Amino acid sequence: MKLSKAALAATVAFGLSTAAATAEPKVLMLHQWATGSDAASIAKLGEMFTAAGGLWEQTAIAGHTANTLAKLRADVVAGNAPSAVQLKGPEIADWNSTGMTANMDELAAAEGWDKVVAPELLPVMKPGGQWVAAPMNIHRINWIWGNKAAMNAVGVTELPVTWADFNAACEKAIAGGKICLAHMSADWTDATTFENVVYGMDVDLFRKAFVDGDVEAMRSDGMVKAFDQMRLMVSKYMDPAIAGRDYDTASNMMANGDALFFIMGDWQIGVLKAVGHNPGDDILCGPAPSDTGKPGFILNSDSVVFFKQTDPDFIDGQKLLAHLILSPEFQTVFNITKGSIPARMDVDLSTGFNACQQKSQADLKASIEAGTLVRSMAHNMTVLQKYRGAMMDVITQFVNTPEMSAKDAANSMADTVEAQQ
Amino acid sequence: MADRAMPTHDLEAASAARRHLAAHAVIYAILLLFALVYIIPLLVVILNSFRDVQEISRNGLIAFPRTFRLDAWPDAWSTFCIGGKCEGMQRYFWNSVRMVIPATIISTAIGAINGYIISKWRFPGSETLFTCMLLGVFMPGQIALLPWAFLLGKIGLANSVYGLILVHCIQGISFTTLFCRNYYVSIPDDLIKAARIDGAGFWRIFYKIILPLSPPILIVTVIWQFTGIWNEYLFGVVLNSGSQQPITAALVALSTNGTNVRVYDVMSAAVLIGALPPLLVYFFGGKYFVRGLTQGAIK
Amino acid sequence: MLATSSDTRVPFRERFSRAVPLLVLTPSLIASFFYVFVFAFWTLYISLSNSSLLPTYGFVGLKNYVKLWANKRWWIAFDNLLLFSAFYVVLAMVVGLLLAILIDQRVRGESVWRSIFLYPLAVSFIVTGTVWGWLYSPTSGFQFLINSMGWTSFKFAPTTDRHYAIYAIVATGIWQSSGFAMALFLAGLRSVDGDIIKAAQIDGASRFRTYRRVILPSIRPIFLAVAVVLLQFAIKTFDLAVSLTNSGPGIATTFPATYVYDLMFQRGEIGVGAAAAMMMLAALAIVLIPYAFYVAWRRRMESGHG
Repeated sequence: MKLSKAALAATVAFGLSTAAATAEPKVLMLHQWATGSDAASIAKLGEMFTAAGGLWEQTAIAGHTANTLAKLRADVVAGNAPSAVQLKGPEIADWNSTGMTANMDELAAAEGWDKVVAPELLPVMKPGGQWVAAPMNIHRINWIWGNKAAMNAVGVTELPVTWADFNAACEKAIAGGKICLAHMSADWTDATTFENVVYGMDVDLFRKAFVDGDVEAMRSDGMVKAFDQMRLMVSKYMDPAIAGRDYDTASNMMANGDALFFIMGDWQIGVLKAVGHNPGDDILCGPAPSDTGKPGFILNSDSVVFFKQTDPDFIDGQKLLAHLILSPEFQTVFNITKGSIPARMDVDLSTGFNACQQKSQADLKASIEAGTLVRSMAHNMTVLQKYRGAMMDVITQFVNTPEMSAKDAANSMADTVEAQQ
Repeated sequence: MADRAMPTHDLEAASAARRHLAAHAVIYAILLLFALVYIIPLLVVILNSFRDVQEISRNGLIAFPRTFRLDAWPDAWSTFCIGGKCEGMQRYFWNSVRMVIPATIISTAIGAINGYIISKWRFPGSETLFTCMLLGVFMPGQIALLPWAFLLGKIGLANSVYGLILVHCIQGISFTTLFCRNYYVSIPDDLIKAARIDGAGFWRIFYKIILPLSPPILIVTVIWQFTGIWNEYLFGVVLNSGSQQPITAALVALSTNGTNVRVYDVMSAAVLIGALPPLLVYFFGGKYFVRGLTQGAIK
Repeated sequence: MLATSSDTRVPFRERFSRAVPLLVLTPSLIASFFYVFVFAFWTLYISLSNSSLLPTYGFVGLKNYVKLWANKRWWIAFDNLLLFSAFYVVLAMVVGLLLAILIDQRVRGESVWRSIFLYPLAVSFIVTGTVWGWLYSPTSGFQFLINSMGWTSFKFAPTTDRHYAIYAIVATGIWQSSGFAMALFLAGLRSVDGDIIKAAQIDGASRFRTYRRVILPSIRPIFLAVAVVLLQFAIKTFDLAVSLTNSGPGIATTFPATYVYDLMFQRGEIGVGAAAAMMMLAALAIVLIPYAFYVAWRRRMESGHG
């Protein structure tokens, strides 16, 4: 009896040890979320990965996205592409065309990703028809945030629905001695505000100019009108010190009531929560002004791309990581802190998510039905970086150059994009 | 006669002395003014590292501290969250130390030997070769990034501190050779000739004659290389990964927080921790720096 | 007289010892050669290739250069480089020279003054840009300080003005590097032959005259050396520009080095980035080649007299 028990124990021990020896999923994730709540969110992913038996390693590169991309290229050129990289938008397709991305179709089919991931994201994650990336979230870009107390103080009772409403509200704000729109000028924030203006005025123009990159659409009268509205906002409704301000100063201007509104994506929820506000409560959230009368949604999504590996441990690690990223648990935990909503449409948002996030998911579904869902240009989801960079240069120059006319800006945008082709 | 001459002589001396005093007062005043502009950033950072961050937001970055906290320092060193790990800067600090010290020593040694060769063992074409080596000083880092990544990958030193040491050494050879060569040129050739007649060979001369005369220039070179490599960002971050990143990566992480709240107090402490080694090197080596330059580091 | 065979046969030991210097120098030479010429040539080839996301080697001629110069931002970057280099090099030298002359007047506490002016060199450009960014901030820096002391109309926020931001970068650069110029000039002033100075003083020349006519001309090589070192800092300006203004306001303070980085890595246009990098190298060559000729000419003159 004793002998067979010992034999059993030995067999079990041997079985366990060989199992452990053959499956040690590893991952080396390269991303740019080096500080603050972003880093904490990725740390959660690391915890889940380790809890599932994997070896988690990450390289977090601070500063501009360019630094992370430089590291990626250096690694690729040296022959060690990292197994998981934070990339998004058209870059996924770009890297896919180099042939270095790993095919995740097997896992995707087994877990039914095609059915649960938002349809607008599918072509981004599956360039060329195969799954090479796992989306972590969906950000909404077209939000306007309003400080309830400040709005009441100047007689604005609700968030503006159309751009005309917005302009009227701003006139009241100025009369009441407050700044209407908080803003800090950087290439991405200027572009965020501008794409909201364009989208709100004409969804088709947005599609043609910012999604398809059509140069004639950029020269059109619609674009000039959008630049006119932008000029009105910059010169009258924002305060003069927008250049050189940092993000949290601008955000605090709205949060403290010095300014009425802030046009920014939903990561603002995380920023506001960190300073003790409750978005949806004392800070109102609503869709950015839109003249179309239909529900609208500008989409941005952070995702992780997988590069082909030769080491079986890394390959296993990629599968494990992808599985975790698309799991409802991760999608919930990650997005609650980040302020975005899950990339999976079937996650229930009623616990833990705040009112604005729930509204976001409802609006996403409504926008899909209304056919107005678009991806964001300012956040690198549509055109290639060389075009996007050129467009953002013109937009931010326009914001900072009072003498630049709307027509010049529109033509300049078209010219610079044309020159890159 | 003599009595009448002396008072005027005194008057002249007195007015000359007064002019001298006035001139010196002006000199000190100008120096003081410049010194203020130079020292204010350092003072601001030091003071801010001891202030409470709310107080900084209220009263501005340049203000008399109204609060005093020591928390920012241990926070920056061992608990601040960078890249998902909340261990502060200490790991990055030691990574930099591990990289900078070997790179500085090796590149200085090579520079000294090269400078010795080019200045004392001239052969046809040595000057041209020297000029070619010198061009390395002017190469912008962005150009060299991808080629280095490729080379390091090929020899298997990618993402390792040894690869980074190699890169810094090769990039530093140009400067260190320049410094040492210009310095050694002023060592009289006769010393070398006499030694050769006595039968001393290449290395003998180096150890017995050149090296003992070298401390000033070696210090200049060490200071220059240490500072340059310690403060370098691009290669340190891109040719390294994960927990091996140097301290400049941590500094950038702290200063570009994107959408997060600025923590000026921790940033100030971090900046000081990051700048401390080069500052100490300059502080203690400053006088040798000027002396080494006096003895002809740059011609 | 015919040389005997034993005279013409140089002993192996002698030949080897003559070869040792060259042998020892060779690894550094090869490494430097590789680093300078091979990398530069690779960049040249890439600038003529169709590289976009990754380096690829299809030849496309001058297409990348055309794209580059059609870009408004490149023109701004190039203009900024010329402006910055001129102001930075000249002013840093002037400030450095002034400080060196002042310290040379036998002031007391020289090591203190010297440490104060030299320490900025120890600091990385990233830190310099960040800290000076704080000082330049209108809401919490210098302007805020003066405003809160009562002068509420005082304005000093150069980094937020697209006309003056570049000068803020120049000023900060000077703060960082003039100590180096000062150290070199001080060293030069100290090494001037005391006899010449005494001779001038005996001749009755004033302090000012002595400097202008006697001392400064004798340290002329130092001016050139300082200028060259400062110039290479100027052309490589990257960390300072990024951390102080991040190419803003708008795109007003873009620099070639920052634009090369942006093109190569952010925008996935390695070919155009390489073309921009070649333009930077060309700018350097325009300055360096005359300098090299000048140095060679001077050396020939000296050896001609010597």
